[in-house]
Amino acid sequence: MDKVLSNKKVIALYVLPSLLLILAVVYIPIVLTGYYGLNEWNGIGAMKWVGLDNYAALIKDHAFWSSAGHSLLLAVFSMLSLIIYLVVAMVLAAKLKGANLFRKIYLIPMLLSSVAIAQLWLKIYHPTNGIMNTLLESLGVANPPAWLAETDLVLFALFIPILWQYAGFYILIYYAALKNIPSSLEEAAKIDGASSFQIAYKIKFPLVMEVVKVTIVLAVVGSLKYFDLIYVMTDGGPNGSSEVMASYMYHKAFKAYDFGYGSAVGFFLLIICLVATWIIRKATASKDTIQYS
Amino acid sequence: MKALLQFSQQHKHISQKGVVNVFKKSKSMTMALILCLAVVTAACGNNNSGSSTNSGNTASNGASSESGSDKKVTINFMHLWPEGVSAGQNKIVNQIITDYQNEHPNVTIKQEVLDNEQYKNKLKVLSASNQLPDVGVTWAAGFLKPYVDGNLFTPVDDLLSGELNGKFVAGTTEAYAIEGKTYALPLEFNIAPIYYNKEIFKKYNLEVPTTYEQFKQVVKTLSDNGVAPIALGNKDRWTGSLWYMYLADRIAGQETVANAIKGTAKFTDPGLQQAASEVQSLVDANAFVKGFNGLSNEEAKSEFTNGNAAMYLMGTWDLPNFTTNEDIPQSFRDSVGFFKFPTVEGGKGNADSWVGGPGVGLFVAENSKVKEEAKAFVQYFVTKWGEQSVTGAGVIPATKIDTSTLQLPQLYIDLFNELNKASSITLFADVQLPANAAETHLNMIQSLFGKAVNPEKFASEQDAAIVKGN
Amino acid sequence: MSSTTMKLGGEAKSGSRIGMKVGYAALYLVLVAVAIFQVYPLIWLLFFSLKNNQEVFNLSPFALPSPPHWENYSKVWNAGNIDTYFLNSVWITVAATAVTIVFGSLVTFAITRMKWKLSSLVLGLFMVAMMIPVHSTLIPLFSMFNKVHLIDNPLSLILSYVAFNMPITIMILLGFYIALPKEVEEAAVIDGASIHRVFFSIVFPMTSSVLATTGIINMIYNWNEFIFVNTFISSDKFKTLTVGVQNFIGQYTTDWGAIGATLMISILPILLTFLFLSDRIVEGIAAGSVKG
Repeated sequence: MDKVLSNKKVIALYVLPSLLLILAVVYIPIVLTGYYGLNEWNGIGAMKWVGLDNYAALIKDHAFWSSAGHSLLLAVFSMLSLIIYLVVAMVLAAKLKGANLFRKIYLIPMLLSSVAIAQLWLKIYHPTNGIMNTLLESLGVANPPAWLAETDLVLFALFIPILWQYAGFYILIYYAALKNIPSSLEEAAKIDGASSFQIAYKIKFPLVMEVVKVTIVLAVVGSLKYFDLIYVMTDGGPNGSSEVMASYMYHKAFKAYDFGYGSAVGFFLLIICLVATWIIRKATASKDTIQYS
Repeated sequence: MKALLQFSQQHKHISQKGVVNVFKKSKSMTMALILCLAVVTAACGNNNSGSSTNSGNTASNGASSESGSDKKVTINFMHLWPEGVSAGQNKIVNQIITDYQNEHPNVTIKQEVLDNEQYKNKLKVLSASNQLPDVGVTWAAGFLKPYVDGNLFTPVDDLLSGELNGKFVAGTTEAYAIEGKTYALPLEFNIAPIYYNKEIFKKYNLEVPTTYEQFKQVVKTLSDNGVAPIALGNKDRWTGSLWYMYLADRIAGQETVANAIKGTAKFTDPGLQQAASEVQSLVDANAFVKGFNGLSNEEAKSEFTNGNAAMYLMGTWDLPNFTTNEDIPQSFRDSVGFFKFPTVEGGKGNADSWVGGPGVGLFVAENSKVKEEAKAFVQYFVTKWGEQSVTGAGVIPATKIDTSTLQLPQLYIDLFNELNKASSITLFADVQLPANAAETHLNMIQSLFGKAVNPEKFASEQDAAIVKGN
Repeated sequence: MSSTTMKLGGEAKSGSRIGMKVGYAALYLVLVAVAIFQVYPLIWLLFFSLKNNQEVFNLSPFALPSPPHWENYSKVWNAGNIDTYFLNSVWITVAATAVTIVFGSLVTFAITRMKWKLSSLVLGLFMVAMMIPVHSTLIPLFSMFNKVHLIDNPLSLILSYVAFNMPITIMILLGFYIALPKEVEEAAVIDGASIHRVFFSIVFPMTSSVLATTGIINMIYNWNEFIFVNTFISSDKFKTLTVGVQNFIGQYTTDWGAIGATLMISILPILLTFLFLSDRIVEGIAAGSVKG
């Protein structure tokens, strides 16, 4: 059996095509990004080797660290919201009447492109005739805030649509994971007299734990390099108060024509992702994986 | 746990039986899968060979620059006037291309259309690989500079001294000149007046202000009556820059502003700093719509067009919205007027000094294989565009036009008259500054309006960025 | 399904019955409220697509304009090439999604089920590939595709989509593969089945629910992608639907109503596919065990 499962030719056949593609399409750009980061380059003319100057400047760059702080905050929020997603998925996966329909409806927003979502939320947050402020004013709140223009509110105002945008993605994954638990398992537990809470806690939760671990990594990495809605809705403003690492990178590389520095930001972002992933993997590592294997 | 054990045995039992059944089906499934992939790969392969002839940026059969006129050439032309929204411009472009191809049967012009934002990004990516289209759209001064430094655009001075000599409005081609050579030919020419809603002004018995004191009084009256005085979408930042530029011009004088941007004067100049303080006192006086730092220019514009805000400082490119655009109610369009930015008492600027300048222009790529043909096309394009752009698309061209022969809305005619009287036109700061300094300027503008920086820091940060020179 | 619900209720102790009913009512109330919130974007988009610019900015987002501007749809449909874009979107999305899922499954299978020294290194390589911001890759990728003459060729899109979605696909599959019982395959191997058979006839079908999940995710990503399309493709005949949106973004103005109509048109096929694939998630394991 081990012989079959350690057949080098088969492994190569299964893994190599994808690996080579990734190396060519993703790793060459990664390596080149690292290389551009060591140069002074506007992306157009000749490159000038400056060694670690860009990185040295980056370490002292307040604007970068503030954007990194915003990205990390987003990562923390995404991680916390995974709990809500999991609960919703558990409710949807329970044998409720109409759960099937609810599931479909709940996932609809994830089909929308960022362009549409951004427009929707711009309408919600509009300072004078937006849904939010119209509602607040009708509730008697005088002079409600201009959500996207207040430096201390804007970041949180942006987190809500971002977390909402990704809700479908994670609920879908959790839902599939929960549905992957054979129902015979659940029934057997029920016969043994387990309550539905016990079933959820003792059987379902450990089984989806592997999936949860993976989604933590996905949520953190995804948040750290998040770009879309922030770019469309505030462009990192006002005064950089909603700038995140990826938008900072974009502004430097494509707007300020400082492609060398932008690349250094991009490469640094990668390193931060790596460290974060390593920490998560360490923190969530378990000796054994699944009970019934 | 007992249940778990039971399950796994059960599961094993069922599956062992099932294995055989599945295998029968599996062969066909695997085959189908392989077939699928084969088809996909084949399809890609076909596309590959099919498109390779028309891929690449310069024509594969492109002639050398001294080629004869009957050699077949393809000119790749990248622009930003999509058919859907820029119907007027798009129609003119297509008309010009069709006419040109008819007159030059050996020339094929291949268009690629992208929106503004995507266009700029793509131009940059193409430049990094030295794969620019033969002809493309560019902006002036600061935008142009890296491309010229990188030797990607070719000088077009021969066109300017040739058939196009004297055809351009004075001062427009200069914005595309670096160290004595001109690298693109402008298509647009804009100035920025303050548009205002005559109905609102009438309702509150307001006169068009000619001095800044009067202007502040207008702002106060409107604000006291709960009308937003000025529509401003400062998420886009260049919009706020216009206000600062005008105040700086009126207070410190045109030359000081121009010099500060060039780096030969400082933004710490007392007049320029006073302008920055004035911006903040306007903010304090609630002169701008609520949440302006979070609004895009387009959202702000709608505050003006729906009659919520009384004034709007914007370039002449918005004239169609106030004259011919059917989507906007006739009653509103009829009530739009404009006035010149008021003068400041004791300031060095005069009312006929404008902020504005040429918009987009056409470049020819330095390494184009069909450079001569491309230049000839650009010359043709600029001429024809100048004849049609005002009437066809509401765009004021950079080439001289005889307005007396054209049927134009009054607002256009009035602004043309102002243009002819202009004592000076200061180029938009973000266009004039090199990219990095422009970013700093724009960020500082947003911070100034948001009162996150004081006028001193506003000035010193910009000076520092301009000194760096990139 | 309804009979199980009954049974659940029936098994509960009679004393807590009323409490349970109230609990269920509350739960449904919350579920319906959230559902309305989640459907609203679609309705909003529909209304949005029937407005002109003036109405987009001034009317309440809940309001239907009168008269509705149905001409936004004809404007979008007549703006040339939309049928080509549509077909390109479909086949590029399908091809990239299929390739990603099949190859992603192969890799995940090899990593989780087969025994080799470098497996964790290779997994690490795939994971790191998720961490690069897309804008960093544009210039290097363009020059690379340019060197191998894949610029203005849909293959450049498919390769990019597969490569950039492969890591996330593998990550999702990974969690499921680890939880998947090994007995079935072990039995098959003992029965003398080849490894290819084990994969294609047992494991691959058994993972159909997660395949549907990753399928949906890949499909949505590929369908809505526009940065690579804009960068690598210059001919209209290879562009995709996302480019249709750009047709209405002008130098100084944007036609929002028409953009709404484009988005509405482009969401329909993906909505239908989603509804179809979404049912596959539920059927997944059940169908697997009937077969197995």
